[in-house]
Amino acid sequence: MASFDGFEYEVVVVGSGAGGGMAAHILTEAGAKVLMLEAGRDYDPYEETPMFNTNDEAPLRGVSTSDKNFGYYDATVDGGWQVPGEPYTTAEGTEFLWWRARMLGGRTNHFGRITPRFNARDFKPFSQDGMGTDWPLDYEEVGPWYDQCEKLIGVSGANVGNEDIPDSAEGVLQPPAAPRVYEILCEVAAKKLGIPLIPMRRAVLTRAIDEREACFNATECGRGCSIGAAFQTTTSLLPWANKTGNLKIVTDAMVKEVHLNDEGMASGVTFVNRKNKEDVRVDASVVILAASACETARLMLNSKSEMFPTGIANSSGQVGRNLMDSTGSDISGYIPALRGRPKYNEDGLAGNHIFIPWWDYEGQDNGTLKFKRGYHFEFGGGFGAPGMGIADGVDGYGKSAKEAVRFNYGSNFYMALRGEMVENENCYCEIDDKVKDKWGIPVLKFHWKWSQQEIDQAEHGMEWGGKIIEAMGGVVTSPKRTGEEAILAGGQIIHEVGTTRMGDDPKTSVTNKWGQTWDVKNLYVMDGSVFVSNPHKNCTLTILTLAMKNATYLAQQLNGDVS
Amino acid sequence: MSNNYQSKISRRDGIKWLGSLASVVVIGGVTVACDGPAPEAIPVDPSSHWPDLKFEPITGPKYGQDPKVAEPTRPWSLTFTSAQRNLVAQLCDILCPADEGGPSANDVGVPEVVDEWISAPYSSQQQDRVLILNGLQWLDDEANRRFGRAFLAASNDEQIAILDDIAFKAQASKPEFIHAVQFFDKLRTLVLGGYFTSPEGVEDIGYMGNVPIMGDYPGPTEEAMAHLEEVITNLPA
Repeated sequence: MASFDGFEYEVVVVGSGAGGGMAAHILTEAGAKVLMLEAGRDYDPYEETPMFNTNDEAPLRGVSTSDKNFGYYDATVDGGWQVPGEPYTTAEGTEFLWWRARMLGGRTNHFGRITPRFNARDFKPFSQDGMGTDWPLDYEEVGPWYDQCEKLIGVSGANVGNEDIPDSAEGVLQPPAAPRVYEILCEVAAKKLGIPLIPMRRAVLTRAIDEREACFNATECGRGCSIGAAFQTTTSLLPWANKTGNLKIVTDAMVKEVHLNDEGMASGVTFVNRKNKEDVRVDASVVILAASACETARLMLNSKSEMFPTGIANSSGQVGRNLMDSTGSDISGYIPALRGRPKYNEDGLAGNHIFIPWWDYEGQDNGTLKFKRGYHFEFGGGFGAPGMGIADGVDGYGKSAKEAVRFNYGSNFYMALRGEMVENENCYCEIDDKVKDKWGIPVLKFHWKWSQQEIDQAEHGMEWGGKIIEAMGGVVTSPKRTGEEAILAGGQIIHEVGTTRMGDDPKTSVTNKWGQTWDVKNLYVMDGSVFVSNPHKNCTLTILTLAMKNATYLAQQLNGDVS
Repeated sequence: MSNNYQSKISRRDGIKWLGSLASVVVIGGVTVACDGPAPEAIPVDPSSHWPDLKFEPITGPKYGQDPKVAEPTRPWSLTFTSAQRNLVAQLCDILCPADEGGPSANDVGVPEVVDEWISAPYSSQQQDRVLILNGLQWLDDEANRRFGRAFLAASNDEQIAILDDIAFKAQASKPEFIHAVQFFDKLRTLVLGGYFTSPEGVEDIGYMGNVPIMGDYPGPTEEAMAHLEEVITNLPA
């Protein structure tokens, strides 16, 4: 056993977000001693979350700035589209955005808590339509792990027999929240078009679990949640793992290299202590990377040796390749008939209570659609806390302008498409030899190009989004756009995955189905890097679920083989 | 003045420009205003006396990427001159007067909100600062041209006469007013935004959230449902 600061451990986990948090929880429960390294600062959501803070208390009424890209109250620490002193570059013609957080718990502190699960088709995309790649897993194998994971983290929703979002096992889901007026209106209107709405799956408790309280129907989840209702590792997996006495967390530890010994095994890592800029080398029997899809790839590519001149465990050349995000496009409008409607509290669980899952598998299968993969619609509107944009679109001045704002309140409606992309050879990240960050670590360079699949999908979504808004009696206010104009930049939906994909064949994949790298047996990847495809279903639940499954496997190996 | 001069900016472009202000992106259910590049500057038509003053951008201190969000503070100073502050206060009273629904923007401190905004060291706010400060100057110039006195010294009717020329988006089709229309559009967004985000404005508009509701979310009230049912009945076939 190695030791750090008097703490003896055998496993090093890099990253404290969804994958790292789950790995630490499972392993420490199984009795393994874990040293967790987090690049960002320590973060305490119980003390730091701006619960109930209002827009008028914040600078610029809380609007987004280059310092706080999702608004003043967003939980993200020292991050956003840029991290100070830690740049990334893009190839010519590439538009790619990379959201990072430098804090304990990573991006789980602010994510949308939307947690739909994959279905059987999602694991076998190539078998379905001849595009992309099949997973070395199927739904039969992963389904029970989804149940366990959902039960553990707490997911509200409902089993409605929808083909896109499979039912969970009986007793797993917590009750969903009642839909709001604009959600019911959307449901009624979309139904006329043959499009269903179903309860949203969200990692937001509607029933307390131990010390984690049920949501009290107020304050945005993106701020973080001091009552533990909205899932984040800093109020759940990490404190649980800490309680076992088997975890030591080191923050401000930016890992720069994974070391390889003469036997071809990982021997530990070196991190930069961000407080004094000194390199610290720690040994380990097992190294788990869960630094996020792009950081994990960067770390592996930067870990060069004689045996692996292009990066550790990269004999396949697939590290950094197959980078995927979700597609995104938005369409907005307003519903005249909702103007001046009766007021009530529409905060609820702060996100969607119901949403539109992918509805046209038939069109996908019979070839009437120009694209092969589905999307879902999240949407919004309602009586939210007024923000600085509340008078957008108002004309004139005086009492009439004031009245117009009051009258319009609660009548805006937007739809956000989130879709599946298929991996392609133009989307990847690599090391930019010319640029280093402030810690001296070579940075990532991104390459990105949507294929026609994604562009056609976005175009379809904008057309149908418009139809839905019109079926609600609404008026579309977004300009009419082609798919190419409507689709957002790569990375912008913050669902990056795929950079060290799992597979059955060491020549075309980086890890086996346990997240264990083919080349280095004691090196595991437990974040979104291992994804083989990126269904339109927000990736966090599947990151958590695979980490749970794979850490359980690893724990069995450790308890069996290592004494 | 050349009456024959044709502006290169068509009415359509002017309207398009105004439309672009409202662009938003929604990520993870969060509406995120685009802090995009500066909109292309519209050349000043000879028929316009837009002052087109240049200002050195205000730089730092910003609040940074790790402010204490639960205890917000504003690290930058306010920069309006007292004359600018007074002019904005008067515009607040006209733009957002007291009525039966609530107080005026002035009553709830919106001039300071506008000052904080244009004094903020962020690129988007600095673009707005150039627009707002030029617009305030334009108002005085316009009042001087029309009435021989500064805007605040003009009578209420005179002030309104000027605002009637720039307070409506359709006026962006007139080359002599397009910049002033842009200015007023921005000011209106800030003033009404500042008002409705104030505690009094939140109460005025009837936002009922941000209070804990223990137990299950109750959903719409009976009254809200009754209204919805009527809306559903009248949906397009």
